[in-house]
Amino acid sequence: MRSLLQSDLLDQVRKAGLYVVLLFVTFLICFPLLWSLSTSLKPSTEIFATPPTLFPSEYSLEQYKSLIYGKDMYFVPGTTYRPKTSPPQHFLSWFANSIIVTFGSTLISVVVSTLAAYSLTRFRYWGRRFIPYFSLLGYMVPSIILVFPLFLVMVKLGLTNNLWSLVLGYVSISLPFCMWLMWAFFRGIPIELEEAALIDGASRFRVFYEIVLPMAAPGIIAAAIFSMIVAWNDYLFARIFINSIQKLPLTVGVMHFFEGVHVNWGLMMASAVMMTLPLAFLFMVVQRHLVAGFGAGAVKG
Amino acid sequence: MMAQGPRLPRLSDRQIGILFVIPFLVTAVVFMGYPVVQAIRMAFYSVNPLRPGHDTFIGLDNFYTIFDDPLFWDSFHQATVWTLSSIFLQTVIGVALALLLHVPLRGISVFRGLLLFPYIVPTVVIALIWQWMFNPEIGVVNYSLKSIGLIEENIYWLSTPTMAMASTVMLNVWKYTPFVIICVLAKLQTIPLELYDAAKVDGAGAWRRFADITLPQLKEVLIVVVVFRTIWTFNKFEEIYLLTKGGPGTSTFNLAIYSFEQSIANLRMGVGAATAVVMMVFLLLGSILYLRVFRFAEEEEA
Repeated sequence: MRSLLQSDLLDQVRKAGLYVVLLFVTFLICFPLLWSLSTSLKPSTEIFATPPTLFPSEYSLEQYKSLIYGKDMYFVPGTTYRPKTSPPQHFLSWFANSIIVTFGSTLISVVVSTLAAYSLTRFRYWGRRFIPYFSLLGYMVPSIILVFPLFLVMVKLGLTNNLWSLVLGYVSISLPFCMWLMWAFFRGIPIELEEAALIDGASRFRVFYEIVLPMAAPGIIAAAIFSMIVAWNDYLFARIFINSIQKLPLTVGVMHFFEGVHVNWGLMMASAVMMTLPLAFLFMVVQRHLVAGFGAGAVKG
Repeated sequence: MMAQGPRLPRLSDRQIGILFVIPFLVTAVVFMGYPVVQAIRMAFYSVNPLRPGHDTFIGLDNFYTIFDDPLFWDSFHQATVWTLSSIFLQTVIGVALALLLHVPLRGISVFRGLLLFPYIVPTVVIALIWQWMFNPEIGVVNYSLKSIGLIEENIYWLSTPTMAMASTVMLNVWKYTPFVIICVLAKLQTIPLELYDAAKVDGAGAWRRFADITLPQLKEVLIVVVVFRTIWTFNKFEEIYLLTKGGPGTSTFNLAIYSFEQSIANLRMGVGAATAVVMMVFLLLGSILYLRVFRFAEEEEA
């Protein structure tokens, strides 16, 4: 409640001041992303212009076109392929690979962790108390420790240079946290409704499907977002597990653009934007769940 | 619907419970437990990735190697500097921004969204943008600093040891401050407003209200955030590797990059694994600390 004595004018000034601070901070923090968007929309001639322009004087999709149609541009019949020019001809395959491994690993992580978390919070057996804590410990292990032993596992399974190695590798990173998050979530869902349905004669599977899953939806969404971010953003696993250029995901793929003699910054920034867009879209749709889920998972357990 | 057909046998609760948890256990053992055990085992072997099946047991030699290696200690030292400065900046900026974003203003959720977004931007993307913005000759950062008169000469952000360290810290702070904001904001929303109203009636100013009400309420979440972030930041790989590759020279090496270089460039996977074991020890200590805080908080609530 605001005191009546406080003058309205002072309040207005204070608010205006806060907006100015907010706008400034937001601009500063968003600037790197704005700058990459701006660079990516400039024609090659304007990218190095001084003074640099935040709003391009001429908008151009040149950079995006060479990412998407790069293949045709670089493989003109009769010319020889020049590896030193860091051609973008694989961009679309990299994009597709990223989407495939992201969806695959998210699906596995979410299904496996939801089932396990439900089981751990609803049934009694040996180990149900400490499995979640072990899982949390697994979440702390950084990927640099896992990557080489996991690579040897993939060699044994015959999965190296195969997108499955990435799917399973990402599951190994995201599953422990998804499990912890779903476990925390299921603990918070009252058991009475399920028990009532069970007493009324519904089967366990039916109760799970029709009562538990809808109630767990916010947790499931948060877990899915987390897994997607893990898979979409990884660099290290893809760098070690995959060795043919067409099978790379975006993260490792675009770093190949650095290998040319001249770095094409416009191309670079266009791929940065293309890599960020799916996440930006996801973020807009589910921001609410993200904050709720991470708040619950990371702080409260 | 399902399970009511005659084909599926009616499972007991216990069987269903075990059935549900098995996929998790299998995945966890094969893709989590086994690799960790392997990493520890490799630390005691000489492992050359080009000659699989020829591992030889060499006891503690890998550990002697890293402890005798000045680069290991440099990496350790640099990782500490990197971690402490990143965590300090993240916490201070994170709390300040969370307080700012907690103010009830129209449109605040838009600002919240925009300020949290860096957290999910791929590290590769940030590294690309950083290389472009901080490019000494053509980057926008040097240009802006020169045009407002802060610097006269170009700063070589990524090719001088001190500045390279500062650039990686900036990258890390930019990406992970939102994590602090998310956690602090979630906690701020649970502090009862009555506390502030009562303090206002008692004549407490804004600073007193922050110091006497907000900070004590945030203490627990801040401890958790700092422990978490310290563990992760200390062992980060991509944030540094993608920006500087550990360079110039070895001036931004941390243990993760040291381990990576030993395994990949020197083909001494055992030495890399021994470094990983050292990293795991820190991790374990941090996790125990976290669980203590966590259990403690839980008991307090009960």
